[in-house]
Order: sequence, then structure tokens, then C-alpha cells
Amino acid sequence: MASFVTACRLSARLTSRQLRQDAAARGFRTSAACLAAQNFTMPALSPTMTEGNIANWKLKEGDSFSAGDVLLEIETDKASMDVEAQDDGILAKITVGDGAKGIKVGARIGVLAEAGDDISSLEIPAEESSPAPKEEASKPKPEKASESKSEAVPKTSSADLSPAKSSKPAEKQTRPLLPSVSHLIHEQGLEQADVDKMTPTGPNNRLLKGDVLAYLGSISSSYPTELSTKIQKLSHLDLSNIKLAPPPAAPKPAQESAPTSPPVVEELEVAVPISMSSVVEVQQRIQKTLGIFLPLSTFIARATDVANDDLPQSKTHKPSADELFNQVLGLDKVSSLGVRGTFLPQIMAFPQAAPATKPRKPAAKSVDIIDILSGTAKPSKLASKPAPGMSTSVNVFSVTVPKGDKKRAQIFLDRVKTVLEGEPGRLVL
Amino acid sequence: MFRNLIGPRAVIRPTLTLPTVVAPSAIARWSKRGYASEAEEKDLVIIGGGVAGYVAAIKAGQEGLKVACIEKRGTLGGTCLNVGCIPSKALLNNSHLYHQILHDTKNRGIDVGDVKLNLGQMMKAKDTAVSGLTKGIEFLFKKNNVEYIKGTGAFTGEHEIKVNLSEGGEQTVTAKNIIIATGSEATPFPGLEIDEKRIITSTGAIALDKVPESMVVIGGGIIGLEMGSVWSRLGAKVTVVEFLGQIGGPGMDAEISKAAQKTLKKQGIEFKLNTKVLGGDTSGEKIKLDVEAAKGGKQETLDADVVLVAIGRRPYTAGLGLENIGLETDDKGRLVIDSEYRTKIPHIRVIGDCTFGPMLAHKAEEEGVAAIEYIKKGYGHVNYGAIPSVMYTHPEVAWVGQNEQEVKASGVKYKVGTFPFSANSRAKTNLDSEGLVKIIADAETDRILGVHIIGPSAGELIAEGTLAIEYGASSEDIGRTSHAHPTLSEAFKEAAMATYGKAIHF
Ligand SMILES: Cc1cc2nc3c(=O)[nH]c(=O)nc-3n(C[C@H](O)[C@H](O)[C@H](O)COP(=O)(O)OP(=O)(O)OC[C@H]3O[C@@H](n4cnc5c(N)ncnc54)[C@H](O)[C@@H]3O)c2cc1C
Repeated sequence: MASFVTACRLSARLTSRQLRQDAAARGFRTSAACLAAQNFTMPALSPTMTEGNIANWKLKEGDSFSAGDVLLEIETDKASMDVEAQDDGILAKITVGDGAKGIKVGARIGVLAEAGDDISSLEIPAEESSPAPKEEASKPKPEKASESKSEAVPKTSSADLSPAKSSKPAEKQTRPLLPSVSHLIHEQGLEQADVDKMTPTGPNNRLLKGDVLAYLGSISSSYPTELSTKIQKLSHLDLSNIKLAPPPAAPKPAQESAPTSPPVVEELEVAVPISMSSVVEVQQRIQKTLGIFLPLSTFIARATDVANDDLPQSKTHKPSADELFNQVLGLDKVSSLGVRGTFLPQIMAFPQAAPATKPRKPAAKSVDIIDILSGTAKPSKLASKPAPGMSTSVNVFSVTVPKGDKKRAQIFLDRVKTVLEGEPGRLVL
Repeated sequence: MFRNLIGPRAVIRPTLTLPTVVAPSAIARWSKRGYASEAEEKDLVIIGGGVAGYVAAIKAGQEGLKVACIEKRGTLGGTCLNVGCIPSKALLNNSHLYHQILHDTKNRGIDVGDVKLNLGQMMKAKDTAVSGLTKGIEFLFKKNNVEYIKGTGAFTGEHEIKVNLSEGGEQTVTAKNIIIATGSEATPFPGLEIDEKRIITSTGAIALDKVPESMVVIGGGIIGLEMGSVWSRLGAKVTVVEFLGQIGGPGMDAEISKAAQKTLKKQGIEFKLNTKVLGGDTSGEKIKLDVEAAKGGKQETLDADVVLVAIGRRPYTAGLGLENIGLETDDKGRLVIDSEYRTKIPHIRVIGDCTFGPMLAHKAEEEGVAAIEYIKKGYGHVNYGAIPSVMYTHPEVAWVGQNEQEVKASGVKYKVGTFPFSANSRAKTNLDSEGLVKIIADAETDRILGVHIIGPSAGELIAEGTLAIEYGASSEDIGRTSHAHPTLSEAFKEAAMATYGKAIHF
């Protein structure tokens, strides 16, 4: 059996260029790491080189080397070149010595072992096995290979992967044959030439047991390809016949929940009287010193913005399934810290002094974001209110919120008050 | 930062007729958080730090992409690490140990004294496993230069995501490429409101604070059977109600499914197949569930302290702002993609549970890597024909490839080889020999089409089957490969031998 496999590999030897492409397409790296002892073959120093002479070895048998060390000098009819090591290792054996002439590219000239190996106990691989990509000693680095992979593979892959198209003749098997395959070949007394004629239908053109059976005529010659095509189909996501969700996309919680929830939510108006006198003072000072007139609304907008920051979570906020999950797991602590509010206060010139909290009908108008999102916001102002407008002294700032959110609104308004009555100058300077 | 305030909120301003504001630098002093200036464009932003998202993020970091990952949960790892695979397996393993100590030590020559369950400690052990692993991912993010943004992401543009930060405030990130990996959530049962205390999903089931007297599991799929097993072992009376005629979900081989049902029944779990839940009443001390034979007919009421809703999971894309950029989902809520995970906006890709394919962590992981390879190298690959499934009950059930029903339906002529663990020396020595290995191969070529295992460590053994399918192996290839003795894996080899020839030990 060994001799057969050997024969198989011998004839499977490729020119270095083919080999490189092949290796690249399969994403092989040019490294000997998989074998302890590795045949070192005559490298191809140019795409056209077919044979070369060994000028001299720079190392003795048993010498260790590191990546980048010169191993030997090779001459061709055109030039002589140094061959550098790609990895650390040991030169276990020199099989073709100094001065040898006309050595074919790919023929063994020595044996390399991994750094640290005990070469006295090393098994020397058979001559022809594994035409390892050592030829590339002075050729593209591994990165290069993986780059070319990215270009090479997309082109070849679809052909590679769809055995249906494999009317192309058998690809020579360069990897170890599957146990079932080599068993059949021996049992049937087949030759290497037969193997080369078989059509591989396995992933990445691997020769399968079925392919041998088809070659032998035990099963229909087209069957392995048919089966592979079926299996190939299963290896992709089925993205055919996708039924799109109807356009008003389902996951829109804000709008979805709206029609049901608003009628139930009772609303309140929270109001706080805020004096604008500090603001007016600052406004006048700025106009005097900088000559710029800032409208009161600028102050209010900025105060609103600041006060909306970091508010407690709205009580009407419906926790999502995920948030519920998180609560169960105690993972919710981080997010409950605070969220940005979207309050916008209604402002009226002072009607009466005391801060008030009045119950309200659900239908009441409001500028709360919840209503805007739910589409229940009414653009009109409340008719029963004192005439709107802003006074330069005390104004009532109010927001309308669902019942549970009174505290949240209160915090917001208190902040607006602090900012506007306390240090309004910091809002604009 | 202020720029963002003008955007969406400008809509509401007109009611007050306040002028648009220009960012004043001083305003920052009023805020605890600094107004971070917008960072420069990233190569890639990933929404969701679950298995799909975090794997993609790490891979992207390794490939040298400038990458950020947005996760709102507060910890990385998504469903799988926080409330899925990992905590459920922690409980499965420890409840199995407990059950075994209670019932299966005497005949092994181990006399055990007073055995008590400390559920609190068992949960703590689970939490330790979870937090260790999620922190591990955070470490891997740092190691691979992945920026971790804690918050909820939503599309505001095709290249722009607004993040509502967990610690308050907002941040806008822009990126050349975006990957959506927002995962899935438990599908609710209409009419039963989940409170995660009495009506629970798997998330409640990994965190109950006491062993319920009785539990009804709606849905006999993998998650339902795993969680049902946990609580049954810990002492609950568990009844599984399944609409279909078989447990384990449609992927499980029917023969294996029957074997699993038999074993689980022996362990004390009751099954009501072909049965549909009509509704429930939670007002009383016990929950009352009305069920009826699926094809109509006999109706009955089941009492339960806890009802586990495990009827499946659905893609989760709520709040993602898909409508802002016109991305489509299909009728099951899955984001629509092409074979390279691209949406119709080609630089936005989708991977994991929120799109097509099996909802499995290792599938999500494969896609995470493949998506980055597509972005970086133009080619990536996931073999959906070779993705294993595992149910971690005892014995475990695992499979890869097609089951017998599917092969039969495809019209392919096939052979089946089985080998029981009762004839496997290691299983025998371990006194744990229930189950079998079943291999389905094409009758003509002997190429393996599916591998199905019920038995001890089935989840580990299935790796060999996956490799076989990935390489296009025949059953003979496995039968001619040496397997160590005495191991459970010999049962795999013998089943293979039985497929193309004869098993030695049976
Ligand atoms: C009980 C249980 C047991 C399981 N056991 C197994 C098992 O044994 N083996 C297995 O393979 N699979 C198992 N699964 C399935 C597995 O958990 C999922 O397939 C996997 O988690 C999918 O990963 P994903 O990254 O696609 O989604 P997820 O893990 O769900 O992650 C998505 C993440 O995105 C976040 N997110 C969502 N929206 C946003 C947003 N807008 N902004 C920011 N972040 C967002 C979410 O918080 C979540 O963390 C189990 C599932 C459950 C529920």
C-alpha cells in the first residue's frame, strides 16, 4: 500500500507554480510545522527554473538554523542565489551534496527537522513524500499567500464547491487518500493512472469512496455528482421564497402600543411658578456689556435642555422583554441610573401663586413626548387657561404627564427653576 | 452633542416656538457628562454583543479593523452567556450531580449521608460561571482593540447609529460597515403574561428562587426539555405539553426522539404530545392551564405552580430604527439578507439569531467570523449542512446532517447503522449505558448523510460526525479509523462499521 500511495504522490507532483496556486487556494501556509521531519526539495528560484545545481551547503548535517539564515547556494544557468530558511530548524540530513548538477525542482536535496528535535531518533521521511512548499524559500512570504487566497478563492470557490460542474477531468489528489478510497484501490488492484481518471465529488475536490465505486462501474457514474449537488444545496442558507413582513413593520412598539394604552393612562399637570427676574437681569447685563440681545426663550430652551438630563426612568416606560430578563438577573442596575427626558414646559404668565397639581382628563392636550409618539397630542391650547404669554416676572411652568410620572416632572421643573432663578448667566456664557 | 438635540427634538419645539439653540460651551458645565465630540468614522460598528456580535468584533480587531461593539445588556456574551447556553448548562450539570448523588451512588459503592439541596448556592455557582465568562470577553475586547460601547443602538442613517448610553446621555457613531447582531427573544404565548416568577421563559427558569412543586412546560423543544430536566431533578413534578407528535423539535431524528422521550419519562417527566394549550388562569394560588388534544376533542385542566413558556424564540430587532433606513424583515421577523449576510444596503450585514438559519450559538459564531472575512477579504464560508445540534439532558442527544425523515423525503436510498451503548465497554463500566449511535449513509456511495446520537457525552461525540460530514466521509472511512479503547467513541466507530458492514461487538 505504501508503495502505491508513493506512486500516487509521485505523479501528483506539480510544478512549483501550480503548487503555489494550489497551496494558496486551499489556504495552506508555507510552513513545515505539521511534520517533525520534512523533506527539503530543490526550490524553484524563478517561474521558469526546472533544475539547478548545488554550489555549496552553508551548514553541516545536524546544524541548527534560524529563520533568515542562508542554508545553501544554488546555481542555475542564469544566476546563483542564496536560499534562506523561512523557519527555525535543524538540517537533519543532506541527501544531495555540494557540486551536484542538474537537480530537478522538487527533488529532495535534504531533510529538515524542527528546532529542538532530537535528530538521532528522527524518522527520515521517504524520498518522494510531501513535495512541501519549501520551494518558496526565497519566494512570497506566507502573508502573500493568504492575500492571493483572498483573490483566488472567490473565483475558484463556486466551481470548487459545485461538483455539478465537475465535468472537468479528475483533479489529482495531493492529500492523503481517505481510508475507504485507498482500501478499494488496493482491493481492486487499481493503478495510479486509474486514480487520476476518477472524478472527485467531495468537498474541495476530495476523492470519495463513491467516486471510486462510480469509476469501477459498481454504481452509476453520474450518481456521486448528483448526490454531491444535493448535499451542496444543504450547505447554504435557504434564502429562496422569502416572504417579507407587511410594510408597516411589526417591531414598532411606540406606535403599536399607542392605540391601546393612552385611554387608560390618567394624566396630571404639574406646575411650578418660576421667577424670570434673574434671567431678565442677566439678559440686560449681557445687552449692556456685549451689545447682544438674547430672547428669554433662549434661556428657557437651554434650561429645559439641561433639566431634561439624567431623569429617573418614566413609570409608564414599559420594560421590554430583555429588560425584564435583566431585572430577573439583576443586570438592570446600570441602565436604571437615568435617562434623558423630553419635557417641554408650558409657560403662562403668573395666574396664581401656589404650585398646583391638578388632575386632568386623559384627553387633555399635552406636549409630552409620549403623546406625540402615540399620536394623541392635540395642537390646541387649553381654552380654560389664563391667557398664554410670558411675563418678565413670575410665570407658571407646567408639564402634563401620566399619573405615575409626577415625581419625574417635579424633578424636571425644580431643575428648571434652580437654573433660571439661580444662575441663568451660566446658561449662555 | 448639541447637534443631536436639535435633530429629533426639533419636531416638538414648534409648539413652544422656542428658537433653535446653538451649542453653548457653558452648557456643558451643567451636565455631569461631558459632551463628547463625535469620534471619527469607524471601519465597523457591531450592534449587539452576543455570540455573533462579540466574535465578529474580536475577529475584526484581529484583522486590524477599527471596530466598536454596542451592547445594551451591561454585560457581553448576549443570550448565550447571560441567560442561555451557559447558565442552563451550569444548572443541568449540577442538578444532574445532585440527582445522581440522591439516586445512583449506592450500587456504585458510595454511601452518602444526608443530601440536601442548597438552591441559592447552586444559583451562585451558575452566576460565577456566567460572570467569569462575560468578563473574559470584555478582556478579549481590550486585548483585540475592540471599543465597547454600553448602550442601545438605533439607526439614524445608513452609516450612523445613535447610542442611548447606559450611563445616561447619547453618542453618535458612524462607520463604513455595520453588522446587526441583535439576537432573539423568547416568543410569548398569547394570553399568558410573562412575569418571570410564575409564568416564565427560560430566563426565569434559570433563576427560580425555590423549587416549584409542579411545573408545566409549554413546548417540548430543546430548551423546554433542558429546563424541565433541571427542575424535575431538583424535585418538581414536571409535565411537558407539546403540540406536535414528537419532542426535541423537528430536527431531531424521530427514532432518537422516541428513545429520548422514553428515558426522560423514566426520570419522572410526564409528556402530553399532540396537545394544545388553550389558555390559562393565573388568579388562583395554582395556575390553571386548559389543554386539549391538538386534533380537537378531550379537554382537561392542568394545575401548576410555575408555567414555562418554551415555544421558540423570535428575532429581536425592536428599537433598532430599521424603519429609518428601510431595512426589511420577513414574516417571521428575520432580517432579510443575501448569501454574504448583506442587507439591501450592502455595507450593513446581519448575523446570528436575528436572521435566517438555526438559532444556535456556534452558528452565530461561524457567521461572525465569515462576515468579517467577507468585509476584509471578500470571501467567507459557513457550511450550514454541517452544524451540530445538542440537547444537554441526560442522556444527551446530539445530531448533525439530515435525519431519517428528511433523507427519506429527499428520495435518496440510504442505509442505517446503529450501535447501542449497552454494548460499549466504557458505557458499561460507567454504569451509564443508555442510548445508541445511529449513522445514516447513502446506499450507493456510503457517504454519510446524518449522524444521530443519544447517550452519555453525545454532545462531545458528535464532533466526529460533524468532521465526517464536512469532509464528505463514508461510513467506511470512520470504520477504518482507530478509536481508543475503552471509550464511548468506539460506539461511533462500531455504528459506522454496522452501516457498511457489520459491527464487531454487537
Ligand atoms: C435557555 C437557552 C439555552 C440555550 N442553549 C444553547 C445551547 O446549549 N447551545 C447553543 O448553541 N445555543 C443555545 N441557545 C441559543 C443561543 O443562546 C443563541 O443562538 C445565541 O445567543 C445567538 O447569539 P446572537 O449573538 O445572535 O444573539 P444574542 O445572544 O441574543 O445577542 C444579542 C445581543 O444584542 C443585544 N442587543 C439587542 N438589540 C440591541 C440594540 N439595539 N443595541 C445594543 N444591543 C442590542 C442584546 O442585549 C443581546 O445581548 C440557548 C438559548 C436559550 C434561551
